[in-house]
Amino acid sequence: MNRHSQQTVADAFSSLAGNKSDDLSLSDGSRVAVVGGGPAGSFFAFFLLKMAQAIDLELEVDIYDPRSFSRCGPAGCNHCGGIVSESLVQILAAEGINLPPEVVQRGIESYVIHMDVGSVAIESPAGEQRIAALYRGNGPREGGDAPWDSFDGYLQGMATERGARVLRKLITAMEWRDGRPWLQFADRSQDRYDLVAVASGVNSNLLKMLADLPAEFQPPRTTRTYICEFKAGEDGVQNILGNAVHVFLLAIPRLEFAAIIPKGEFATVVMVGEDLDQELVHEFLNDPVVRGCFPTDAVPCVCSCSPLINMGARKRPYADRVVLVGDCGVTRLYKDGIGAAYRTAKAAASTAVFMGVSEEAFRKNFWPACRAIATDNAIGRVMFASTGTLKRFRFLRRVIHRMTAREQAQPGRRPHMSSMMWNMFTGSAPYTDICRGAMHPGFIGNFAANLALGAWPASQRREVS
Amino acid sequence: MSSGRQDRSAGSGTRLTPAFRPQQVRKEPPCQAGCPNCGDIRGWIGTVAQRSRTGLSREDAFAQAWRMITDVNPFPSVLGRVCPHPCEAHCNRGELDEPLAINAMERFLGDWAIENRLPLPALEPEAGGEWIGVVGAGPSGLSFAYQMARRGYRVTVYEGREQAGGMLRFGVPDYRLPPEILDAEVQRILNLGVELHLNTQVGQDVTLAELRERHTSLYLGLGAQLGRGLGLPGEEGPSVWTGVDYLERANQGRPAETGARVLVVGGGNTAVDAARTARRTGATVTLMYRRTREEMPAIAEEVEDALEEGIELMLLATPVSVERDDDGRLRGVEACRMELGEPDASGRRRPVAMPGSEFRLAVDTLITAVSQSPALKGFEALDRDGSWLVSGDGGWVADGISAGGDLLGLGIAGNAIVQGRRAAESVHERLRGGGRLAAADAPLPTIGPDRIIFDHKPGSAAVKTPKRDGEQRVCAGMSEVAGTITESQFLQEVERCYSCGSCMGCEQCAMYCTSSCFTRLEEVGPGMYFSLALDECKECGKCIEVCPCGFLDVS
Repeated sequence: MNRHSQQTVADAFSSLAGNKSDDLSLSDGSRVAVVGGGPAGSFFAFFLLKMAQAIDLELEVDIYDPRSFSRCGPAGCNHCGGIVSESLVQILAAEGINLPPEVVQRGIESYVIHMDVGSVAIESPAGEQRIAALYRGNGPREGGDAPWDSFDGYLQGMATERGARVLRKLITAMEWRDGRPWLQFADRSQDRYDLVAVASGVNSNLLKMLADLPAEFQPPRTTRTYICEFKAGEDGVQNILGNAVHVFLLAIPRLEFAAIIPKGEFATVVMVGEDLDQELVHEFLNDPVVRGCFPTDAVPCVCSCSPLINMGARKRPYADRVVLVGDCGVTRLYKDGIGAAYRTAKAAASTAVFMGVSEEAFRKNFWPACRAIATDNAIGRVMFASTGTLKRFRFLRRVIHRMTAREQAQPGRRPHMSSMMWNMFTGSAPYTDICRGAMHPGFIGNFAANLALGAWPASQRREVS
Repeated sequence: MSSGRQDRSAGSGTRLTPAFRPQQVRKEPPCQAGCPNCGDIRGWIGTVAQRSRTGLSREDAFAQAWRMITDVNPFPSVLGRVCPHPCEAHCNRGELDEPLAINAMERFLGDWAIENRLPLPALEPEAGGEWIGVVGAGPSGLSFAYQMARRGYRVTVYEGREQAGGMLRFGVPDYRLPPEILDAEVQRILNLGVELHLNTQVGQDVTLAELRERHTSLYLGLGAQLGRGLGLPGEEGPSVWTGVDYLERANQGRPAETGARVLVVGGGNTAVDAARTARRTGATVTLMYRRTREEMPAIAEEVEDALEEGIELMLLATPVSVERDDDGRLRGVEACRMELGEPDASGRRRPVAMPGSEFRLAVDTLITAVSQSPALKGFEALDRDGSWLVSGDGGWVADGISAGGDLLGLGIAGNAIVQGRRAAESVHERLRGGGRLAAADAPLPTIGPDRIIFDHKPGSAAVKTPKRDGEQRVCAGMSEVAGTITESQFLQEVERCYSCGSCMGCEQCAMYCTSSCFTRLEEVGPGMYFSLALDECKECGKCIEVCPCGFLDVS
């Protein structure tokens, strides 16, 4: 009798527990898989656990990534230029994520914009929007004894300190069974989760495998970039590039823009453009303006890749028990992917912990963060289109050059053009803010004046400020 | 636009950026390089480890793996017990934690196949008109017989003793290799239609010329049955045995009376086997070797086992004379201390007697196990180099006669088996023009631990063969000392293999290639999962650098 009643109670509890997990919220013992151990995945796991611990919710969080960030070269690399804005570093510090100096190499004080009409250096405005350079993985090939640590590795460590488990397994598919997502691994084994956060970026083929799932899971539109690392030695890099990021706005068809970033003994060359291929890379590296500032044939290039970047937001990067964070969902156009990863991951984590893991919960609480980025990207796209115009018309380039150079020469003046260029290329501010700055009457008046003066024939030669 | 691009490509000069284009290159892993039998070790481990990727059931994977072993070695259960497993010595995994327990895994599969009565598959169902003769039913003769029989030859084996197995039966003690295991694996060869004539001594019951006349081709696998003495004063007489003779009697169930104190002289496996066997009769046993433990040719683990069983190891010592009383009874051995001098031809430091270091040991029995040689009575017509028969490529020693195993020079059982197989392949080629069936024709590049990404798998210790402790082993007499690993241990152990130099289907290359250069094959198996097309390759080299097994190279 007694035994019978015990069983009934146990049954009642188990059915209650079953109901609880069916109602699309996380409960004690819920299992969460994070697919991808880059910044988005680590941020998500970190915030999810931090928030869950705050309300005494016990979750089991598994981060899946077969790669190790402790290795040099492509195997441990996450393919990016490696620029973070100081504002992001500050925001992370406020979250309790203090990036140590081995991870973030601060001290980039200026941007040099190179155009055929001349080069101009922009100092970091107001001294606070400085930027930092970092390596996502453990640096390029041949960087064995480099003094830096991996940024992605550091973030992953933050997540594991919070209790996440990192599993070196490759996920090859995801399917729904019994209302739950099941991950399938390369060895054909499977595991069931209550929530799957996809943070796979756009440089693996995982998203294609999710494409069989509901129509909303179309992989984002992507374009190719080109990144290569030149090993010039610490002194070499300092001599050639100084403490500045060099940005190139050149009249090379198909090339959107390019930048050279100093990082210790390496210089990272990043190119963004349409249909980027080896010919375009060559044309850029052999351009007289580039050669004038960076003798690429004199230093060995040790590493190169053509990673994809996200060019368009997904319609709906979430569903019941699934959410896409970071680059594989919505990210910022060209810039500040880590900042976008942080914002989308945090929004997804707080939704999952406090609002549930239903499609509805993500729509109400996660999607607004994504939509803000998507809207800003739309503005950014218009602005980058205008740089296309700029590249077509030499007189416009002269205006920019002249205006920026004058602003930089007179520190007291309001630096309309400088801060616009700075924010445009550093990702320090949303495109919306940059655009608003461009609408400022002071900017327009200044622009008009410089347009008139710069068209004067006497100034039609290349000058370096 | 398109014409503009052509102009640019025409103008582009030397490359400024590196090109890391992948190519798939199968390599020889250290396990296979270390195995005299050239077994496809990585292949059979991979067949089991990758069974879910290739869609094989567990049973099918076991059977297929076992057939891959038996392609070159019909004695997996036997070698899984007695082989000193040089395959494990250089296993790349040793750089991470411990080498794979290949030998223990081979034993598991061998036992599994015996339990499940798996037959050795015949390659040619019908026998042709040839009749092949084999002298000696030891590992080499039976390996040869097996390789010929499965190719569709009629084979007759002549064995001088009353049972087949050769040194495996008469030289290896039962506590290492139980006779029923040997019987099962021998019987499977006979089941292919091999005829066995026991108690048939060449030179006595039949002559070499008669056999040569009778058979299309003849193979000699006589082994080296003669134990060599030390040539000491007083050695001739009762209570002095060679290791071979002592072990043979023990293995036939009629061990020699040794008395309470036994001295075994030698450092090889025969010496250790004789010492451990004598210990099991209750005697106090001393094993004397003239060099140090480092130089002992015996399997290190066997030496360790001997010590655990209470055998005293006396290193850097050698007997100089045998002491007998007036009745000729053994009383003791006079020995002297040695020290290591300059290296000799074998690279080992030569032991040199220390003057004035003589000492006396009271013993009741002396077993000398320093070397063996073949008994070549009846084979005087064949060329020799000292005690050994001389052979050419493929083991040929005369027209229509080939040979292999210990009569060409002492070696491990695996060596005898490979020589039998090679000779069979050569005979097959001469008689039917058949090519070699076993793999490993073209030499492949080797692969070291530097190419393996160890963090692809979690660290874990190798599976340990279950074993009773030393005292229990001695009490248990001749019953087997070591057990077979369990199926779950076996399945865990195969997971430890990194499949060095051969694709294991981890899918990372395909996952991280954003240019879709890798296409999964319709039919997959160990070593073949993806085809590679480089038309869209961006030369970043990521696929090469994530490949955990070192299968992808820079082309």
